[in-house]
Amino acid sequence: MENRRLLTLALLAAMGWSLTNIDWDSPIIHTGGGASALRFLLALFPPDLTPEFLGIALRATLYTVAYAVAGITAAVAIGLPLGVIASGTVLRESSSWQRPVMIGARAGLAGLRSVHELVWAVLLVAGMGLSPMAGILALALPYGGILGRIYAELLQDVPQPPLRALRSSGASPLRTLLYGNFQMALPDMISYTFYRFECGIRSAAILSFVGIQGLGYQIQLSMHDLLFSQVWTLLAFLVGLIVAVDAWSTHVRRSMVS
Amino acid sequence: MNAADRQQPLVTASGISKSYSQVSALSPLDLSVMPGERVAVAGPSGSGKTTLLYLLAGILQPDSGNLAIDGKPLARVKPGGELSRLVGIVHQQYDLVPHLPVLHNVLAGRLGQWGLLRSAASLVWPQDRGLAEAALERMGIGDKIWERTSHLSGGEQQRAAIARLMVQSPLLVLADEPVASLDPARAEEILRLLTSLTEDSRRALIVSLHSPDLIRRFCTRVIGLRDGRLAFDLPSEAVTGPTLDDLYHLEAPFGYQPEPEPETQLVSASPSNETRASRLPPPGAFR
Repeated sequence: MENRRLLTLALLAAMGWSLTNIDWDSPIIHTGGGASALRFLLALFPPDLTPEFLGIALRATLYTVAYAVAGITAAVAIGLPLGVIASGTVLRESSSWQRPVMIGARAGLAGLRSVHELVWAVLLVAGMGLSPMAGILALALPYGGILGRIYAELLQDVPQPPLRALRSSGASPLRTLLYGNFQMALPDMISYTFYRFECGIRSAAILSFVGIQGLGYQIQLSMHDLLFSQVWTLLAFLVGLIVAVDAWSTHVRRSMVS
Repeated sequence: MNAADRQQPLVTASGISKSYSQVSALSPLDLSVMPGERVAVAGPSGSGKTTLLYLLAGILQPDSGNLAIDGKPLARVKPGGELSRLVGIVHQQYDLVPHLPVLHNVLAGRLGQWGLLRSAASLVWPQDRGLAEAALERMGIGDKIWERTSHLSGGEQQRAAIARLMVQSPLLVLADEPVASLDPARAEEILRLLTSLTEDSRRALIVSLHSPDLIRRFCTRVIGLRDGRLAFDLPSEAVTGPTLDDLYHLEAPFGYQPEPEPETQLVSASPSNETRASRLPPPGAFR
């Protein structure tokens, strides 16, 4: 209790001290910003719906989808094997050679996901140039790390009695994984992968700010030219895309439950 | 099958014991089961029945003692193919994989014999399908073969679990409380199906069972466990209600109670109720 009071006092003091650091003379909100924001909002009526621009937006959307699909597919290919190894369902902590492999897989997954996809993109573009591969890997590496970690947990957290029953009817650890852990974890694994695919689309759009084709790249071009009505069109395509993926994943999940 | 086979016990246990974090679940116990025997294990909750079955199934390892099935020391049998030919178990909760179609849960009884590739391929192109079909047909749920296992009723899941054991075809069949919470007609049916797995005289059945009537009808022998010790080991004809009641009795305040049937309990309880009621003041005494 005493410690908590001390902490409260320390935090209050820190806050008071931070107030002295503020430049009270200049306004907190940029005064010129209001006009720009208003101009941006007004451009919504109407968005740019000319056939030529719709064509550009559609192509950009397809690029973004393509990057997301390729990126998430590669992420599953990275995350699944590493996740199985890290889950400890096949390898055992007690074995002297299996334990380091498990720890290695866990550390690898942590390393992959602790770097943000934008940072990966900057690193990879610097290393590989503005190639589609750099964009795909920039998605695949961090998402592989995230998926692998979640797969490992889902595979671990299945009910144990059916696994014990499989083992007692003669199944090896790998066969128990195939017939038990995978079967029971699969609905959650698929639904989480779909959620990550949705995130991947947003990330792919953002990634194109570093110069890779896609919605983000087009948004950046239109912003530079202050063509806000085009930005609105592009944003509408992005929202429509996310909604479509969401509807698709809901459909897949429903058909899996029944 | 023949005289030579009958000479060697299927199960030889000498001095096997098991304790969980220093609480003894099974004191050193000797047990020998011949092929063709159907052994009931009786005893109250916590008497070590499940521990004994799990030790025999190779799910648990004994702290001490030796255990051999068909002459092979269980400690040296590799889990997987070899063990699954020797012994198989139906768990109390059936423990099937709820997400798989019944077919694959039954075919899981073959996983000890199949290679890894064949096991994986079977999920797409079911292998040895005829075996599973025949087993499910015999269990009376042949029409459920493609049903998702979680959609089956408890009784149907139990039949699917027995079908898996049938496909696995072990020499020693174990069943943990197979008829707990079943009505008499279903209990009889399940025991009939279980004993049919061991019709072949090379095999044996060990089943935890409490009803003296069912024990006499479906088993050849009964062993009683109490507090992790062997209380008796008798041919099943020798078993009567009182033999088992001694095994199950709690620190009963009224001494010996006959058959634990609801009616008789009510009758035996009523005299003491009367005496207690007579000690109460008559209704209206406090007005």
